[in-house]
Amino acid sequence: MSSLGGGQPGEGGLPAAAPEPVDAPDRVKVGVDEWVAEAEGRRAARSGLTGALVRVWERLPAPARLAILIGPFAIFPFITNEGNLYRYGLITIIYALLALGLNVVVGFAGLLDLGYVAFFGVGAYLYGIMASGHSGHHLQAEIAIPIVVISTALFGLLLGLTSWRLLGDYLAIVTLFFLQAFVIFVNNANGGLNDFSYPFVGKVDLTGGSNGLDQIDPLNFFGYHITTTKGYYFFTLISITLLMTMLYFVNGSRTGRAWRALREDPLAAEVMSVPVNRLKLLAFMFGAATAGFSGTIYGAVQSGAFPGDYDVGLLITIYAIVILGGLGSIGGVVIGALVVNGAPELLRSSSNARFLFYGVLLLALFIAMRPWYKPVVVLLGTIAFGFAVHGIASAVWSRGTAGHIEGGGQLGRALEHWVLLPRNTSSIAGWAYFALIVAALVLTLLRGWWRALALIPTLYLASFVWENKLVEQVSGATRLILLGGLLVVIMNVRPSGIFGTSRVEIA
Amino acid sequence: MAALLELRDVSKAFGGLQVIDHLNLHVDEGEIVSVIGPNGAGKTTVFNLITGIYHVDSGEIVFEGDKVSGLPPHAITNRGIARTFQTLRLFLNMTVLENVMAAEYGQTKATALEAMLQLPRARREEKRIRKVAEEKLAFFGQRLAGYRHDQPAYSLSYANRRRLEIARAMATNARLLLLDEPAAGMNPHETHEITELIGKLRDDADYSILVIEHDMHVVEGISDRVIALDHGVKIAEGLFDEVATHPLVIEAYLGVRAEAEAV
Amino acid sequence: MNWSLFFGELVSGLTLGSIYALIALGYTMVYGILKLLNFAHGDVYMVGAFVGFFVLKWLGGPLAPAVTGWLAVAIMFTVAMLACGALGVGIERFAYRPLRNAPRIAPLISALGVSIFLQNSALLLWGPQFRDYDTFDLVGVKSYHIGTNFFISNVQILTISVSIGLTILLALVISRTRTGKAMRATSFDRDAAEMMGISIDRVISFTFFLGSALAAAGGIMFGLVFGQIFSLMGFTAGLKGFTAAVVGGIGSIPGAVLGGFLIGLTEAFATGYLPGGSVYANLYVFALLIVMFLIRPTGLLGSPVIQKV
Ligand SMILES: Nc1ncnc2c1ncn2[C@@H]1O[C@H](COP(=O)(O)OP(=O)(O)OP(=O)(O)O)[C@@H](O)[C@H]1O
Ligand SMILES: [Mg+2]
Repeated sequence: MSSLGGGQPGEGGLPAAAPEPVDAPDRVKVGVDEWVAEAEGRRAARSGLTGALVRVWERLPAPARLAILIGPFAIFPFITNEGNLYRYGLITIIYALLALGLNVVVGFAGLLDLGYVAFFGVGAYLYGIMASGHSGHHLQAEIAIPIVVISTALFGLLLGLTSWRLLGDYLAIVTLFFLQAFVIFVNNANGGLNDFSYPFVGKVDLTGGSNGLDQIDPLNFFGYHITTTKGYYFFTLISITLLMTMLYFVNGSRTGRAWRALREDPLAAEVMSVPVNRLKLLAFMFGAATAGFSGTIYGAVQSGAFPGDYDVGLLITIYAIVILGGLGSIGGVVIGALVVNGAPELLRSSSNARFLFYGVLLLALFIAMRPWYKPVVVLLGTIAFGFAVHGIASAVWSRGTAGHIEGGGQLGRALEHWVLLPRNTSSIAGWAYFALIVAALVLTLLRGWWRALALIPTLYLASFVWENKLVEQVSGATRLILLGGLLVVIMNVRPSGIFGTSRVEIA
Repeated sequence: MAALLELRDVSKAFGGLQVIDHLNLHVDEGEIVSVIGPNGAGKTTVFNLITGIYHVDSGEIVFEGDKVSGLPPHAITNRGIARTFQTLRLFLNMTVLENVMAAEYGQTKATALEAMLQLPRARREEKRIRKVAEEKLAFFGQRLAGYRHDQPAYSLSYANRRRLEIARAMATNARLLLLDEPAAGMNPHETHEITELIGKLRDDADYSILVIEHDMHVVEGISDRVIALDHGVKIAEGLFDEVATHPLVIEAYLGVRAEAEAV
Repeated sequence: MNWSLFFGELVSGLTLGSIYALIALGYTMVYGILKLLNFAHGDVYMVGAFVGFFVLKWLGGPLAPAVTGWLAVAIMFTVAMLACGALGVGIERFAYRPLRNAPRIAPLISALGVSIFLQNSALLLWGPQFRDYDTFDLVGVKSYHIGTNFFISNVQILTISVSIGLTILLALVISRTRTGKAMRATSFDRDAAEMMGISIDRVISFTFFLGSALAAAGGIMFGLVFGQIFSLMGFTAGLKGFTAAVVGGIGSIPGAVLGGFLIGLTEAFATGYLPGGSVYANLYVFALLIVMFLIRPTGLLGSPVIQKV
């Protein structure tokens, strides 16, 4: 049984919650009080350096916080000139912008919208239809953007209508299906043989089907074209700064409070004079419009819209950003976007990815394990373990050490003497991957020194799997595997997200 | 004087279960009326019907001369009826002050756009409702004062959560408060305090009050009039002493055998 | 009227429907007990199909099987169902159980994470390409016709009857066995059941085992019927399985089966008869879901949800 059910109330927690009235057996669910008490404990336990940082952060005035979050992005262009870095930075800000809208729907209003990225796609495609070589129209951005924003908001309204009847999981599935429907639609709406024939106009090539809608125009405001990545970078940065500021104000206003009240308890909110249905729609519309707007920028930046870009992979990425940053935290999305998108994008080559992998592993080890000497022991143990295994293998199983790390640099060369690199890895690595998952799960069941001990072969196994399998698909499957795992881990360890304040919920 | 709230022949069934059966009930301006009855009598259901959470099957509910049955809950609240919940439904992760301010939604008009741009009306309203919220909280003296304003609601003790629920209901600018077992789960001292508070709500703050309560000391202490329900039927109504000694009420609470012994 | 088209779509709808029904059963059971939308369920189904594929390979492949075709199929079913049952139990144990008292949204996001994790693990290990079940070589597909327009193959008969058989078996387990009773009690009121001494953890694990095993059976059936499987097959199928569960009334076992057949038939007939159907069939399924929600949010056989205040 996990510790959640019977955990010790943390110090500084509730005074063990008031006694329950005897006449209401259905009042509080079993285990909830402990959970509440634990959450309190976790909150109080944030002492030490992190705690101090958090407190300082919370006491800063809002403009200062905004400056700290956005400032580095603003000076970033002045310290680097590398085109690629620009582009990564730009995509990161676009994702942050997108996440900001999702944060309103999920974080503020508590509506689990899994169709969100469809609006991002709608934005890109709609702009593409209004301004591209593909469609033959070339609308100015000052007209096209308001049209996109209004239409996506209307789409949001339509999807939001389902939230009147559906809650929680039902809403999740309908919106997810909506995303699926969108993807199917754009994949096929090319006026081809199987496509719909529309009333009055017949068959039309709207989206270019699976080839995508290409030759999208750059944004063109009153005749001024944004053509450089730098231009888009600043345009998006200004947009996100404005949006964050406006969201900050909304959050503190009656609308923001009503959204949060609705997230906490829709029925109580309704009875406390909040027109819940209207506010749900508002949240959906707001989110959709933001997504549509960022989609337009994305379409213009990519000068095309491609169906694969707006699928579940993106959905997970954006959710990971919002959750990492903390549901309902405005500034958090910037950090979330940096971590989820920025880091892997910047370190796309496998040797950089290798640094990232071992770096994060080390960091996690030293953050998660107390006291300080434990991770040191584990680290040294793992290193020794690796050399031992390598030594034995080179004596009895020469195939196991025959492989090489391509372009691994210093770290790669060192690793060649440590990690096993069989020549024909495919099936061995597959089993090792499976074993690694099992080992990681078993770890969660162990406690104290047992866990530390078991960690040694697990870490070695992890690097074996990394070098022999995961590294092959860093930007594809591996990235999503890590994101998926991350979501599960965060939900289990800290359901409110890394930078969010913990929330307590009594069902 | 016309009744502030009136239930006319109201019925409600869930499936085959007749929970409220042709109930007539009224609350006059400035009155404190208690509803008593055994568990499952339908007391909370009456509140749910008045506040529009459930729809009446037949009959109508009239507030200040206007029919309110059929309106959505938030609209009913805006007319001037607010409630607390037996099962405490605070916005746990919002601060104490925010809980109260959230309930003032109906009395403000600034749109989200005005808030984004911080236009004058949004700022003015914000200032106003903050002041109102602080006033409502001040009603509870030290209990919800000062540093507590910025604490999350879940960190409050049980009794304080009940108080906050009342403060939140007050903030809707209601004229009629519906309190569902305000003293449940409180110790004798706190119960006494809540009894006084309910009196103060009427005397100092001019609320009319309909209250469900199991604790007979509280009922005795506060009620102008008591209504006893059983199986959704009004079995007695009148002053506390009349109702408390009414044979049907005793039967409802203690069962038929007990009545046979008592007679 | 073109009867051969009609019967063709009817049979393929029923076949599809029996696959969706098996997936829907898992959703419905888990939802009934945990009130959790298990997003990873569709991916368990995909894993089931792959386990079946590897079992077949291990048996020597369809061309040189170590055992006869039908026995091979039986072994594939058994191994895949056991393996996926274990997978389901593991997912629950590690991704959902620690979150039982956490905010409502947490297990959903965790489930989403598991789904992505499984899906991309499959991509990593097995690649995006199609894998062949070679049903023709494996069991020798035969087609029977009744009259001039009605055709049905032995694989389709197998699929439909295995699906119905498994459902009946499940219904028996739930209504007759002690664990089944515990399951029903738990789905009715988890806390009360716990206080009555029912081991909730065990019941939930068992539920996940059953549901995941059924999904695995569905995955293999897909492979047999269509001859091919791929790593991304779980997502859409999971979505439709859930739709089936919802349309039938979530929490209801007969509802899940009814919903499954309804979705299967909708898809098949949309493909055959509606404009753009061959590519947009899923849109029509989506439309069905929406309509269902509008007219009867609790599904065909679902009981109304009581929200007491
Ligand atoms: N939404 C609902 N659906 C079905 N039955 C309901 C619903 N709400 C209430 N009931 C039933 O109506 C009856 C009256 O319930 P109600 O909550 O009004 O009782 P009560 O008088 O407030 O009791 P208590 O003193 O325990 O609070 C009970 O039998 C209850 O089970
Ligand atoms: Mg009650």
